[in-house]
Amino acid sequence: MPTTQATTPRKRLGSVTAEVVEAGTPERRSSSANREERRTAYLMLAPMVVLLGIFVVWPLVYAFKQSMYQGNFYKAPVFVGLSFYKYVLTDPGFYQSLKVGGYYAVIVVPGGMLIALLLASFIKTLGARMASFMKTTVYLPTVVSAVIASVLFRLIYADQGLANWLLGVVNLGPKNFLGNASMVIPAVAVPGIWLGLGITTLIMLAGLLDIPESYLESAQLDGAGFLQRTWYITLPLLKNVLLYLFVTGLVAAFQEFLLPLLIANGGPVNASTTPNLYIFNQFRSATPYAMTFSITASLVLFIVLGTISALVFRLIKSEKAVDA
Amino acid sequence: MVRSRRSLAAKWMLLVLIAFSMLLPLAWMALCGFKRDLDVLKTPFAVLPQVWEWHNYTAMLHDRQYMTAVGLTMVGAVIFTALSIAVNALAAYAFARLEFPLKRVLWVLCIMPMFVPAMSILITSFVVVSKLHMLNTLAVLIIPGVASAAQMFFMRQFFLGMPTAVEDAARIDGCSRWRIFLKIFVPNSGAVFVVVGIISYMAYWNAYVWPILTISNPTLQQIMPVLANFLDDRGPQYGQLMAASTLAALPTIVLLLVFQRHIVAGVRLSGIK
Amino acid sequence: MRRGKGLTALTLAVAGAVTLAACGTGSSGGSGTTAAAGGGVGTACASPTTVTFWQQKFEDYQQAWYKKYVDQFNSSQTCVKVDYKVVPADTWTQKLQAAQAAGNQPDVVTTNYGNIKPGVAQGQFAALDDYLPASALADIKPNVAPFVTEKGKHWGYPMLVEPSAVLYINSDMAKAAGLDPASPPKSWKDLVDWSTKLTSGNVKGITIASVATELGWSSWGLQYNSCGHFPITDDWASARATDSCFADVVNLYKTLYQNKLMPQNPKVGYTDAAPFESGEVAMMVNGSWALGAIKKDKPDLLAKTVVAALPTKDGGTGETTATLGGWTLTLDAKSKHPKEAAAFISYLAAGDPNIMADFFKQAGYSKYTTRTSVDKAIAANDPSTTQDANMKTISDDIVAHGIAEPVYPWDISLAMGTAIESGMKGTAPVDAALKTANDSINSTIQKQQLKGTAPQS
Repeated sequence: MPTTQATTPRKRLGSVTAEVVEAGTPERRSSSANREERRTAYLMLAPMVVLLGIFVVWPLVYAFKQSMYQGNFYKAPVFVGLSFYKYVLTDPGFYQSLKVGGYYAVIVVPGGMLIALLLASFIKTLGARMASFMKTTVYLPTVVSAVIASVLFRLIYADQGLANWLLGVVNLGPKNFLGNASMVIPAVAVPGIWLGLGITTLIMLAGLLDIPESYLESAQLDGAGFLQRTWYITLPLLKNVLLYLFVTGLVAAFQEFLLPLLIANGGPVNASTTPNLYIFNQFRSATPYAMTFSITASLVLFIVLGTISALVFRLIKSEKAVDA
Repeated sequence: MVRSRRSLAAKWMLLVLIAFSMLLPLAWMALCGFKRDLDVLKTPFAVLPQVWEWHNYTAMLHDRQYMTAVGLTMVGAVIFTALSIAVNALAAYAFARLEFPLKRVLWVLCIMPMFVPAMSILITSFVVVSKLHMLNTLAVLIIPGVASAAQMFFMRQFFLGMPTAVEDAARIDGCSRWRIFLKIFVPNSGAVFVVVGIISYMAYWNAYVWPILTISNPTLQQIMPVLANFLDDRGPQYGQLMAASTLAALPTIVLLLVFQRHIVAGVRLSGIK
Repeated sequence: MRRGKGLTALTLAVAGAVTLAACGTGSSGGSGTTAAAGGGVGTACASPTTVTFWQQKFEDYQQAWYKKYVDQFNSSQTCVKVDYKVVPADTWTQKLQAAQAAGNQPDVVTTNYGNIKPGVAQGQFAALDDYLPASALADIKPNVAPFVTEKGKHWGYPMLVEPSAVLYINSDMAKAAGLDPASPPKSWKDLVDWSTKLTSGNVKGITIASVATELGWSSWGLQYNSCGHFPITDDWASARATDSCFADVVNLYKTLYQNKLMPQNPKVGYTDAAPFESGEVAMMVNGSWALGAIKKDKPDLLAKTVVAALPTKDGGTGETTATLGGWTLTLDAKSKHPKEAAAFISYLAAGDPNIMADFFKQAGYSKYTTRTSVDKAIAANDPSTTQDANMKTISDDIVAHGIAEPVYPWDISLAMGTAIESGMKGTAPVDAALKTANDSINSTIQKQQLKGTAPQS
């Protein structure tokens, strides 16, 4: 376990992955400089911690409490203990939704990152004018909302839509995109990737531009091709960025809800019912049961997401241990 | 010569292809704004409207509620973005560069919200802001979302990657952490702030459920709830929706173009070497 | 001081409420609106009591109608001021529950029939009998009254009913296919025959719900038609989704879907009439509201549209194939100003019949009345409506035989919707799909302790 020196935090690109998990070990030395630094740290963290405390932790604690009571706000709520956790954890629909969410995330996150990496690499090779045009092109779609994208893609996948027309041209169609359990998630993932591509590409590009040109040039002189350069130099140096994109992308994709709802309505037969959509569907009737159930289910989802992310962090940490 | 020209042509082709696939939905949205509701749904695709419905756009320009919502949401989004960058960057810097007791606990606390599904705390958050008497204010739209685990995480990742040489030198010269943050990190984080800013801005702009829950005052109406007016289950007004969405996107596009200089100039994330 | 003022206002407003309610009822025709506005009650109040009212968002004309009459109510007197808010349907549950949790719930809301009895069980509503004049309650049609009555009291004032499943036929297309739109399909077999004959090239024979969340409620009528009951025993003690009559329902959908007689990837949801309006399908199953949409979007199609009751399993007539949905105004049990709130309900839904008559006019008569006096007002104001064949069909053949939506929890309907979708799209054999639904319903019964809680009315 690396011990970080307070005064000389030597963190370089590529050798910092451990910091992701290891936010640093408490500093035991005590000096006036150190006390000063602590004060600065707490002051800098104060706004963040206070805001999160009020607007996340408080509601979250309250939500945990709510998950143990059944009742609306007209009659005294009944204490039900952890029974709703049991209901959630014994509901096959919940597991099915986790699978769907996972499947969706597994397509969207690596897929989106790969495309973004290729796009960013491509933009990097362009001259200033072309690059600026390209960047604009890539991030402008960010302004399109998920609702509009859904309307569009529902039309694209319709029986006589654009997708089937294109397949017809190459004699492969027509396909039942949204009525087929094995096709619906990939179909919904396309707009999912598309909507996130702009920002992901920009972040990748920013990371790429950060890599000293000399590294890549010397590798090129040694005869390394694009793939080799990417694999041995670019990706390791992008670790910080990739980790961020991967974890946040995973968490966001797992919780995707609007696209499957508006494009496929969670169908066919729940094949596109992601966890949040599952929770939303349970919550359509205003019964006290439905409310406690949906709160509990989303708290379980929180635990699932937290665990997955902790595992990702752990995985990267252990890889670092091997490196060292 | 020939070879480089050929590769340039290939680049252009690829460029046009990518641009086309990225911008098609945007163009489609703008064009649909000129269509009648039923024509928006036409398959096979008709690119151009059969009948040009200018009315969809002009009606929006004369809609006071809509125009106010666009303006107000922009103002809110800008304030939100600025506050969000400030709060999250400070915390990110502390986590990236400083050592202090309880760092691990605080780190877990600050990163945890990233995994909290909005649904789980929707109702209880409402109770909280209602207890704080924040309902029907601009503050309720802005403040609760300012501290963002994902944004803080993002900036921390970049701060971690900044070379330490300049910073170390400044430390030896007796510069305080605040000075280092303001004079070295902030000026060199232009690109990071732009990226984070775009994410924050769009997050505020796209908020739908929260404004509906917390705002009942018509003068504080936000854009997404207003756009949702065109989308009822029984007869969505797609033409109007597309026109309104296109017009609403314009200021954001302008804003993006203004900031594009920062992205396009190739600002290094860690400019200090 | 503030408190004292409030009390005075309250007492005065009580008087106002009674007057307002009394003005409205009974007078058919004429300008009851101004009558209600008059009476001089308004000037007596020092400051108005604010009452909040949330309306679930629907078709545009509904919002316009509500706004108009809320404004009219507010300007008609100075004792009660209604603070009116439109809430989109997709956020309705969250917004309402959040407000209830924080203790600032609205005084009056729109509630659908399906939520009345569960709401009563939760103590969510105040009984209207204490606030509304008896004549207003007596005005409710006898077939609608049970929808809002529980324990001998009225818990919501019904505004409208609308059948959730009606068959629409494009008569031009039918004639072109050699079918006679004047004698529409009677049995499920006929429906499949018609759909087959009407399917050609890119035009599909029919469009009908095809995803679980829509099938869950739009198939209630067909479930009832096939079985004479819903997939749960009357005392809510156990599931009975495995009865073979439910398999017949699933098979009907399955045939339509598997034979590609309906769109495989529908562009819009069940409630949206767009594919029928643009001629991409020859027949459509949709709620009665679609008639209003056609009138608005494609008036020239209206003359070519023939409306019929959804066919019955064996071709019998006069049977139920649709449930009646619809909306009421309910008064919150925790309202701090129940009398003032009730005065508004009384004014809008239970008072001058011309106000509701105007609603149905704006709806293009695609919804149906709940009050005898409103029927009279419509007949007097708009005599042509009685001649409209489609309207007559809906009210005589569909609404007359319609039954109330089931009031059991949505989970049960969703389980059935999932079974139908599963069977029609072939992800499971029909029997297996119904078995899954049966298990799921039993689990719902157990977890929500439904046994013996079925409302009796």
